[in-house]
Amino acid sequence: MLLTRRNLMQTALTLGAMHAFPGLTWAQARPLVFATFTGSWEEAHKAVLVPAFRKAAGNADMVLDPMLSVDQIAKVNAAKNNPPIDVMLHDPGPALQAVAQGLVEPYPVDKSAHYKDLIPAAQEPSGPAPFFQVVGLTYNPETVKTPPTSWADLWKPEFKGRVGITNLNSTLGTGFMVELAKMHGGSESNIDPAFKAIEALRPSLAAVAANPGQLATLFQQGQIDISPGNFNAIQILKARGVPVEWVAPKEGAIAFKTTIHIVKNSPNRELAFKLIEAALSPEVQAILMEEPYLIVPTNTKVAMKGEIAKALAKDHADLEKKFVFQDWAKINEQRAAWIERFNREIRV
Amino acid sequence: MAAALRNVTTYDLKLAAPLALGFVVFFITPLVILLALSFQADPQGSHYGLTQYVNFLGDRFSLGVLGSTLWLGVKVTALTLLLGYPVAWLHQRAPSWAKGTIMLLVLLPLLTSVVVRTFAWVVILGRQGIVNASLAGLGLIDTPLKLLYTESGVVIALAQVQMPLMVLPLITALSRIDPNLADASSVLGSGHWRTFRKVILPLSLPGIVAGCLLTYAAAITAFITQSLIGGGQMLFMPMYIYQQASTLQNWPFAAAISIVFLVAVLVVVSIFNALGRLSRGYTNA
Repeated sequence: MLLTRRNLMQTALTLGAMHAFPGLTWAQARPLVFATFTGSWEEAHKAVLVPAFRKAAGNADMVLDPMLSVDQIAKVNAAKNNPPIDVMLHDPGPALQAVAQGLVEPYPVDKSAHYKDLIPAAQEPSGPAPFFQVVGLTYNPETVKTPPTSWADLWKPEFKGRVGITNLNSTLGTGFMVELAKMHGGSESNIDPAFKAIEALRPSLAAVAANPGQLATLFQQGQIDISPGNFNAIQILKARGVPVEWVAPKEGAIAFKTTIHIVKNSPNRELAFKLIEAALSPEVQAILMEEPYLIVPTNTKVAMKGEIAKALAKDHADLEKKFVFQDWAKINEQRAAWIERFNREIRV
Repeated sequence: MAAALRNVTTYDLKLAAPLALGFVVFFITPLVILLALSFQADPQGSHYGLTQYVNFLGDRFSLGVLGSTLWLGVKVTALTLLLGYPVAWLHQRAPSWAKGTIMLLVLLPLLTSVVVRTFAWVVILGRQGIVNASLAGLGLIDTPLKLLYTESGVVIALAQVQMPLMVLPLITALSRIDPNLADASSVLGSGHWRTFRKVILPLSLPGIVAGCLLTYAAAITAFITQSLIGGGQMLFMPMYIYQQASTLQNWPFAAAISIVFLVAVLVVVSIFNALGRLSRGYTNA
């Protein structure tokens, strides 16, 4: 066939129309939509979880729509009866909000093949936790010669003007504050000691980042040398050649469950269940534990290996000993007030 | 029969209908919903009232955030005008081959995304960034200056990021000025400075007002640049709204802040517009 201007136009128009009106090619209902998180989460899920789901669900169509937890809640809330998302992924704070607002379908625990193999902390009937996030201390090994061992090291005089933290908008920032409160005699319901501690930290602060992602940039730019940090985020930086190291402080690393939920009124409930089953399966979790993802497994059938075994915990019993879990139901009660207070008090 | 002749100087308003419809559906309707939301006394919407507005307007912290945001806009606009006017002036005076180059340089930033431009500033202003490295290399400073996460950093970055919005209207305004006017002024005995002050500056006022308006509106709402360069400690209105709406899910308060912000910006814009009208009167006089 000759490539004339006319049939080139025709093809272009047809392709364009198919794109503008996907209904032309898609007679059935919409594919499964999984709202994962942006960045490394999306990469890991695209590479490992999606293929595993396709295999288990007979090549069913699915779409990854990465967004923040809070945006997922907002979107589902705006269309409760016909939600645009089938499966949500949440940090502990937003997860409780989503459950409280009635946006979540209880997980069919009896049908699940993997639920009972999860560590007890991951067994949530409103939505199990396929992954953990772990927060410890991040430092630049080129400028910090003795690795820090405790959260209290942030207050050392040699780190004056070199410490980074994030504000309380993030799970990381809030979790860190709760840990500070606990160190100084407070708790999830008594945050005062943490604010006093941060006040004392002020001369040391080089930056208060607006989100954990900014901390990565600040390390890269040499703006900060030490900060609380997410294990996974640091592994990515390290892989890119940035001089950073991560250690679990002796008080214990803060662990957050990342829970996965079927959205209430989802038209794809069956497929959503299959996706979550895939995420809980030892096969998927074992691959996600390896480089470059290094995601902490919650299925006890997965044996800890590699960097995770070295830096975090050698098995699941060790993990439960070393990790600190926080009571997010209590935290959520006052989080708004804390954010308000942080806005007001921690100004430069 | 005059009635049979079609009046070619007026246009059928129906031509604007598609745009008007889009405007109503995608702008007016959400705005009305936003306004309604702002009158909810609590996030559940159990009752209505002015609670959210009272909370905002009766709170010195919140008013401080609004004030610092509006003031940030003023500083950015002033800096952009100061740096942008010479560029527009140069463009006006340059030979035609150079005009194209200057125009390209002015437009170039618009071709990259704001996120990329802002990240470039993170690299420039950082402790090991270009500014600190050159100052240290020249022996002017011993310890790096703190530029990132400061308000001056935000002002500098915003001024560069929004520069095209200022320079383009200025170029248009300056190129409309008859070059003979400047020659006439010097023939009549004025120096360069006096010619600029008495002839060029007044005639370019409409361009200045238009440029300032665009830059100001863009600077105070620049969520990305404000948070990337300003960090988590500097709270400006866009981040305040985001925090309330997204992290805290307090939509009514977020809506009320948005409306207050909108009104405050409208007030500033009408001041600019009034100045613009004055300047037109001035030019035509």
